[in-house]
Amino acid sequence: MNTGDTAFMLIATALVMLMTPGLALFYGGLVRSKNVLATIMQSFICLGVISIIWVVYGYSMSFGPDVAGFVGNLDWAFLHGVGLKPGPYASTIPDLLFCAFQLMFAIITPALITGAFAERMKFSAFLLFTVLWATFVYFPICHWVWGGGWLGKLGALDFAGGTVIHINSGVAALAAAIVIGKRKGWGHEAFHPHNLTMTILGAGLLWFGWFGFNAGSALSAGETAVLAFFTTQVATGAAALSWIVAEWILQKKPTTLGAASGALAGLVAITPAAGFVTPMSAIIIGLVAGVLCYMAVLMKSRLGYDDALDVVGVHGVGGIWGALATGLFATVAVNPAGANGLFYGNPGQFLIQAVGVGAAIAYSLVLSVIILKIVDAVIGLRVSREDEQQGLDITQHSEIGYSL
Amino acid sequence: MTHISAGDTAFILVSAALVLLMTPGLALFYGGMVRGKNVLGTIMQSFIMIALVSIEWVYIGYSMSFGPDMGGLIGSLAWLGLNGVGTAPSPVYAPTIPHIVFMIYQCMFAVITPALITGAMAERMRFGPFLVFSLAWTILVYNPVCHWIWGGGWLGARGVLDFAGGLVVHLTSGAAALAAAMVLGPRKGFGRENFMPHNLPMTLLGTGLLWFGWFGFNGGSALAANAVAGTAFVSTHLGGMAAMAMWVLIEWLHRGKPTTLGAASGAIAGLATITPAAGFVGPNAAIIIGFIAGAACYYGITLKMKFGYDDSLDVVGIHGLGGVIGTICLGIFASKAVNPSGANGFLAGNPGFLGTQIFAVLVVGIYAFVVSMVILKVVNALMGGIRVPEETEIQGIDLGEHSETAYNR
Repeated sequence: MNTGDTAFMLIATALVMLMTPGLALFYGGLVRSKNVLATIMQSFICLGVISIIWVVYGYSMSFGPDVAGFVGNLDWAFLHGVGLKPGPYASTIPDLLFCAFQLMFAIITPALITGAFAERMKFSAFLLFTVLWATFVYFPICHWVWGGGWLGKLGALDFAGGTVIHINSGVAALAAAIVIGKRKGWGHEAFHPHNLTMTILGAGLLWFGWFGFNAGSALSAGETAVLAFFTTQVATGAAALSWIVAEWILQKKPTTLGAASGALAGLVAITPAAGFVTPMSAIIIGLVAGVLCYMAVLMKSRLGYDDALDVVGVHGVGGIWGALATGLFATVAVNPAGANGLFYGNPGQFLIQAVGVGAAIAYSLVLSVIILKIVDAVIGLRVSREDEQQGLDITQHSEIGYSL
Repeated sequence: MTHISAGDTAFILVSAALVLLMTPGLALFYGGMVRGKNVLGTIMQSFIMIALVSIEWVYIGYSMSFGPDMGGLIGSLAWLGLNGVGTAPSPVYAPTIPHIVFMIYQCMFAVITPALITGAMAERMRFGPFLVFSLAWTILVYNPVCHWIWGGGWLGARGVLDFAGGLVVHLTSGAAALAAAMVLGPRKGFGRENFMPHNLPMTLLGTGLLWFGWFGFNGGSALAANAVAGTAFVSTHLGGMAAMAMWVLIEWLHRGKPTTLGAASGAIAGLATITPAAGFVGPNAAIIIGFIAGAACYYGITLKMKFGYDDSLDVVGIHGLGGVIGTICLGIFASKAVNPSGANGFLAGNPGFLGTQIFAVLVVGIYAFVVSMVILKVVNALMGGIRVPEETEIQGIDLGEHSETAYNR
């Protein structure tokens, strides 16, 4: 046990928890005001639902003793044997603290997906989907990469969750946007964000919390944490800039929404690479992420799926770029526990990263579609047309956001 | 022997900042629930506590709470103006961090406690009398009770446990809130009009900030970055989330719809309830305590309609009741297997400890209620009323008490 490491990981865990309310505000500001509470609620309630299943079986499925490289067994159900001595994953902090840190990642991942089906999903269907998705998609993929599963053994690098969190949620978002269908009026009406200052506040809280997310993934307050902290900052700044420059050129005006989305794209892209690349590489990763994700967001209207709040474009595309970029830019010069990437003479690492990306996309897409179809058959995914017209706040929760 | 640990000091410094953030968080939590004409007045009542109580704390409050004990009842004024409170660790309170860091960490608790009470006075209290009440209350209620339990006083000596303030913070403020709601009387239109929260996203932002800050509140109460801090941190999260889930579920079954206000209220109820127990119980007990909190406080906030007191933002039903339940649950679920410096509770074969906890609930609850009542009556008599005139209440306290309006188009 080390008090410095424990102090740092306690704070990092709290920071990652704050990202979920931050995300709630980020998304909440982007929808129309008749749906603001329902949108916030979908993130918020993940703090409840995922925490319960994490304690009961999620942590064990993700990090428990390995079964065939695919999933953990249930030996640690109800946190059996997860105590206050250091455990197998982090040697200088209590095992229970590692479990809590990872829980915060499991909470935000399904919350990220909610941006794709905003303004039209039934609350009950959302809850059922979330429980099934965490169980059959998040826990296994988390195990593959971090819990002693096959991708980790293959040598795939994912510092803080590019594959586990962002590709995974981005692909599930694509599945959800397609299966649930477009919002009423999509393509004819403009859906203006009702409160962009709320979105900017959410982006600020996400950026702040992301220091816990990425630097905390070093699991100790040492050199790797400092590297991850710094790369997180510069990649994010670079992506926010490149997004608004691209926007300025193509759409004539730099927007606050573009700055917020660009920052988020940079945070996503640097996540898998944060502890494995130099600060200069991080800037390149961020610059590319801003432009790439901006283009991806522009594409959705051509491709015709209503990914309402751009989960696919930002988290999916940003996550894929980040995972592949890790295979390009990683260097053992900054982190001996990592690997060299293609630009440091090791093309094999890039291939391994590509395998990880492909496997996560295929698995998450297929399972997400199946789960969505099952939930649709059992209780129906979508609210009625009248309810959608009236707004989810009043029809799903009997509340209204504002009576100013 | 004491020596300063860099890790422990880093943790408590950040924890103090986290607890400070809870007061603005609370301001937004409450601010969103009132009507738009009272949002600034409500936020101000929390915000100004950062100044008022911090000054009180530095000059007399810290010494009264934690200074050398006098008869188990109160700290002496030996540490007046932080005399002798320096960078060397206090061997009694926290041997691995500078004494002054312990002092400022505790200051943040003293700041938020009177701010919690303001939810019961919302939309109708005069600002001047409010300041006088808060100062007197901190001196006569918070400082003594804090001393009794944490500062070497008589309740701590009897074996009462309160990890992070179920008694000291939540029960004292809840009991004072009941007194305040009774003395002030209901808002104009209470029971007839529907007082709609004017900005629920603001309330949810406040909830998020409170939850985040609560990790410093409870985790930091271990006063070191150690295994107990890990236990308290995990219990805090699990208590909060279980109560949120339970509240929403019951609401869904009972009223037909799960609400965001219910989720926020449930989370705060769970966080308040787990506070006294956080570092003394394991994860599974924390979840059970959270479930109990969600169900009990859901019922608790309906009491105000039955008894007709206007506890506007549910301080009694959430903080008061949560503090009581958490303190008693600690008497049931505490386990030395989790924290050897704690106690065994009822389930570990020690019913005596449960009795001690119930005794502390009665003593602190009655003391805080009676003294709050007296202070309110005295302030009311001396300052020409604690309640705003009817025209001001109709116009709103933002304009009436602060000459501002929050939203201008």
